[in-house]
Parts: sequence; structure tokens; C-alpha cells
Amino acid sequence: MPNSVNRRSRLGALPWIFPALFMIFAFVLWPAFEMIRTSFQEVSSSGITQGWAGLENYRNLLINPDLPNVLIRTFIWVVGIVFFTIVISLPVAQLLNAKYPGRKLVRWAVIIPWAASVVMSSTIWKWILDPYYGVLNKIAMDLNIYTEPIDFLANPKHSFGWLMVVAVFVSIPFTSFVILAGLSTIPDDIVEASTVDGATAWKGYRHIKFPLIKPALLVAMAINLINIFNAFPIIWVITGGGPGYETDTTTTLGYKISFRDQDIGQSASMASINLIIILLFIGIFLKVSKSQERNS
Amino acid sequence: MKKVTRLGALVAATGLIASSVLGTTAKAADVVELKMVAADYANMQPFWDDLSARFTKANPTIKVKVDVVSWETIDDKVKTLVATGQTPDIVNKGDYSAAAAEGLLYRADEVISKEVLADIVPTFLNNSKYNGVVYAVPDLASARALFYNKDILKKAGVTKLPTTWTELEKVLKQIKAKVPGVYPYALPLGPEEAQAEFAIWAGGNGGVLFKNGKWTLNSKENVQTMEFLKKLTDQKLTQPNPAKCDRTACAQALFAAGKAAFINGSVFLEGWLKDNGGASINIGSGSFVAAPGKKPVTLGVQDYFTAYKANGRKAEISKWMDFIFEPTNYAGFLKAAGGFIPATKSAGAIAAKDAKLAPFIKLLPSAIFYPGDQASWPAVKGAIQQQVGTALVNPKKTMDALQKKAEAASK
Repeated sequence: MPNSVNRRSRLGALPWIFPALFMIFAFVLWPAFEMIRTSFQEVSSSGITQGWAGLENYRNLLINPDLPNVLIRTFIWVVGIVFFTIVISLPVAQLLNAKYPGRKLVRWAVIIPWAASVVMSSTIWKWILDPYYGVLNKIAMDLNIYTEPIDFLANPKHSFGWLMVVAVFVSIPFTSFVILAGLSTIPDDIVEASTVDGATAWKGYRHIKFPLIKPALLVAMAINLINIFNAFPIIWVITGGGPGYETDTTTTLGYKISFRDQDIGQSASMASINLIIILLFIGIFLKVSKSQERNS
Repeated sequence: MKKVTRLGALVAATGLIASSVLGTTAKAADVVELKMVAADYANMQPFWDDLSARFTKANPTIKVKVDVVSWETIDDKVKTLVATGQTPDIVNKGDYSAAAAEGLLYRADEVISKEVLADIVPTFLNNSKYNGVVYAVPDLASARALFYNKDILKKAGVTKLPTTWTELEKVLKQIKAKVPGVYPYALPLGPEEAQAEFAIWAGGNGGVLFKNGKWTLNSKENVQTMEFLKKLTDQKLTQPNPAKCDRTACAQALFAAGKAAFINGSVFLEGWLKDNGGASINIGSGSFVAAPGKKPVTLGVQDYFTAYKANGRKAEISKWMDFIFEPTNYAGFLKAAGGFIPATKSAGAIAAKDAKLAPFIKLLPSAIFYPGDQASWPAVKGAIQQQVGTALVNPKKTMDALQKKAEAASK
């Protein structure tokens, strides 16, 4: 008897969780399954499935001459952007937390790049950096810093740097607000007590505040890691991964393999490997953060 | 018992929904809707909407829904539609060979009347074959020439139009020295149309993309061509960023702003300039430059209507295609597209009286075309668009890499 009640109540929950379950199956699990399946299939350049291909797609991907550099670049991309985002967001969060007239205004100003769609922000940056019409060249030339317009995006080394700048720019608002949320949970009396005990501002931050915002910081880092790894629009809008393949990450390379090189199967295997890479990133991250917790 | 009734109700409800759905499709069966995806030459949507409305008036059982898509996204869009089982009936874009090779297309003679087919210019029809069978109906074509800004050339004291690479280099240097703030040649090797810029330059050196059944991207002539372009770029005779400079947003925009002296332009360049702020540019044109001792060439580019078998609408497609090629409708199509070379002899005869088009029509018989009949052409085109710009850093290395990609794509 109790058993059947139990079952009924479980079934009773179904209408409530069904929408969520449906979303997870329809928009996460099923597409992921299709992606992995496609990566083992041969797909014609028009998009018709021709049958199973075994590991052929993965083999083609591994001998793709552009892949090694793209992998290295993806690593620099993710680690570099997450690092600089956190380093800049920590003081920004302090600024947002401090009490001064006009704080609301500053908070709003920081939210704007976050509220704007990434494609919009990227498009604006693309035009800021434009060699012929861009405002950055205009300012520098009006100040006589140089006389011939510079194309900041022509040299792949520079353009990749600029892409990272834009990515940091769009990541700061979210990150600093998560840290701000952490900061605002710290009770005032703890901070006050530490000042009474003679802690300097820096010591108070280092030993009292920082450990307390650490959980928020870890959440921010994990979410940034995923976001930045998947950041397709920034690269696609500003450089399209070019010149050549020299500013591609694995995300944009996957798109190009499918729609430029017309190889959907190989592209699906790139996407599947992307999934593995991001899982690895998260795994390493969790391990490091756990061992840090143990140390502290 | 209770459960059973619930189940019963569910089955009944599903049945009701299913029957109502089936009912509507059964009713709709007497009106067929054709789906067409068309590239946006200029402002095509009003033209297609009007044409389709008039067509349905004449053929009440056939509706045509035309989706006009930008050139940048149409290949991706069609591919996605095919891959997800939403294959359109007719497509109007720049290639056909991969679809023909996979057996997705009707033959041209299955979907268009003999009279229309006989009216198509033979050169164009020749470029619409796969394995000797015509699978695509040419819709229009363009040819290229060397365009220049007369005012800049006057300021620089250039009196004779260059016809060889050597002469061009000299003239570009002269412009650079005498007219500061102007890029002597606008070189767009960015992804949008890099294959066109490359093909016409290489063609002037006797270089081709495909010869005797093989891709020849890293042929001696082609590598030499890129070496010459590298030389121009290194001497700052072009704008500084050829590898990321797209044709429309960069090269043509510079030309429209009076910031570039020479440009490789298509027949429609003048019309484009008028609509994009370059109406005041004093424009001239001549045949494109060739390497010393080589024959100058023009690059012919043609686009296509293709009909997909997936939905089995042969009879309806055929009616619609013939309707498009009715002389007044086809003239409307050409007008909406803006300044292209017609694909039919009858329309060509009228266009030959147009002073702007006439020289290009005359050039066409000797034009080089893309190897559009190769099934791997879309993939090779994609690779060239992505990468050929980087050949300005290391010509041989990039052309070798492209050759490898082309060979892999045609396996």
C-alpha cells in the first residue's frame, strides 16, 4: 500500500517537472546525441547522410593541418580571458560595493555591455577598430600618434589580442556582479571587527573578504570558462576566424569545416571533441579548486 | 478501471488531433506550394513576390513561396534545409555541381521547356553540366574588368591605361607618389569573393584552377601570381589588409569613397556605386591586366536555377520555370538584379544595345569560368575564400596547402 502511494505521488510530480524534463531532452540531450551520431557518419556536401563512416571523420580531423594551432590558440583564449576577467573584475566589484554618491549610476554603466547582445557589442568593436572609418584610428591620428591608418585586425597576432580584449570586456559585468553578490553577503561587523583589531585595508581584504567571496568567485570562473570556450559570435563577427585560420578557436573551426570545407561529418567530430575539451577544462578546474579548498 | 478510461480518453484525443491534421493536409492537397530559395542580387523580394502573385493568378493550384537570402548565407541556408529534410523545390544561387553529383537535382530538360533551353547562350549551358548532362538552368552572368577612378589617374598624370603587370606596377607607384591618401589598387582577398580576385589575376598569367581532370591550385603560374600580388602589397601599393578585405564592405567601399584608384570590378559595379554613396566617382574601365607576354582574360561568373527532386513537384516546377523565362518576366528579373548579362540569347540581343553591357557581352566568348561542373567545387571555393589571402605572406606554402585541401575534397 505505501508503495503505491509513493508511486502515485512520484507520478503526480510529473506534470510539474515535465516542462523541464522535456526541455532537457529536446534541447540538450537529443541534439548532443545527434551530434555524436553524425560524427560517425559520412555526410555528403549537400547534407545527405551516406551511411556509417566509423572513425574516418575523426581521422580526417586529426590530420587537418589547421588543428594543432587552433587547439593551442583555444587554450590561450580560454585561460587568458578567464584570468584577465577575474583580475579586472575583483577591483571593479570593490568599486561597485563601496558607498558613494552616484553608485547606482556606476552599477548601471557596468551592466550595459552585459545587457547588450554579444553580436551587437562585437559589431560595435569591429567598427571601432576599422582601419578606414574606425574611431580608434581617428583619435590616434588626430592626436598625431601616427599618420597612416592602422588595421588592428590585419595581423593575426594583434587581431587575436583584440578579440581577447573584447571577450574580457563583455565578461567583466557578469563576473563583477557575481563577486559583488559575494561581497554583499559579508556582514559589516566582521569587517569592522578586523579594523578594530588593527588590520590594514589590504590585510582585511586578503584574509577576511577574499576567503569569504571565494565560493562566488569559483562559480564565476566556472561559468566564464564555459562561456568563453563557446564564444562564437565575438570571433565570427570581428574576424571570421581570419585571416586564413589564424584567429580561429575550435568552436569557429567546427563551423568552417562544415560550411566552408563542406564536411559536416568532420565538423560533427570537431564538435564532439569540443564537448570532451570543455569537460576536461571543467574537470581540471574542479580538481584545482577542490585541492585549494583543502589547502586553505 | 479508472486508468483504462484515462488511457482510452488519451487515445481518442490523439486520434482526434491526428485526424484533424490529416484532414487539413488532405484539403491542401489540391493547392501545391513550391518553396524557392533565391539569392539577393539587389532588392529581389518585391520582384519575386509580385511574380509569384501573378503566377498563382494564372495557375490557381500552384503557390510559390520565395525566400530571398543574402549571398553570405545562402549556401549555409540551403545546406541546412537539405540536411534537415526541408529541401526546397527551386534554388537560385551560384553553384549546382555537388547537388547534381549526389543525384538531388532534376535535369534541366525535365523542368524547363525545349524552347527556353534552346534560347540559353551555349557557353553558359556548357558550364551547367555534370558528367555531360545539363542539370542547372543559367539565370544570368557577370564579367569582370579593370575599373579606375579617372580623377585620381588625372591627378597622378597617368595617360595610358596599363595592360600588363609591369605597366600596372609602374602606374601604381606613380599614383602612390603623387596622390597621397589613396590606395593605388584595392585588393580584396577576404573570404567574400577571394576566389574571383584570385582567378582573374591567375588567369592573366595563364593559370587555371582545374585542368585535365586535376586541381592545379599550386601550379607554377598560380604561385607566380601570388608572388606578384605579394610584391604589390609589400610595396604598399594596395590597401594594408588584403587577406581580410572583403569585396563589398572593403574594396568597393574604398573605391566608392574615392580612396582607391584601381579595382577589379564586375559589370554591376557602376550600379552598385550609385546606390552606395559613390555616385560622384568618375569611373572608367578597360580589360584586366595580364602578365607580360600573356593574353588578357576576363572572368565570367554565372549563377543558376536548380530544381530539387525531393518533393517530386516536377510538373509544377516546370510551369514556374517557364513562367520566369517569359520574356517580360525575365526582363523584370534582370532589371531587379541590376546590370547583369542575360543568360538567354533573346534577352542578350536586347542587352547588346546597352552601351554599358555591350563590351562585356563581347568579352564573354573568351572568358574563363570557375570549374563549377566539379562536384568538389563548393568545398574548393570555400577553402580558397578562407585561405588564399594568407598566400601574401608565403605564396608557395599557402598554395600547396590549398592544393592538398582540394585533392582531399575531390576524393
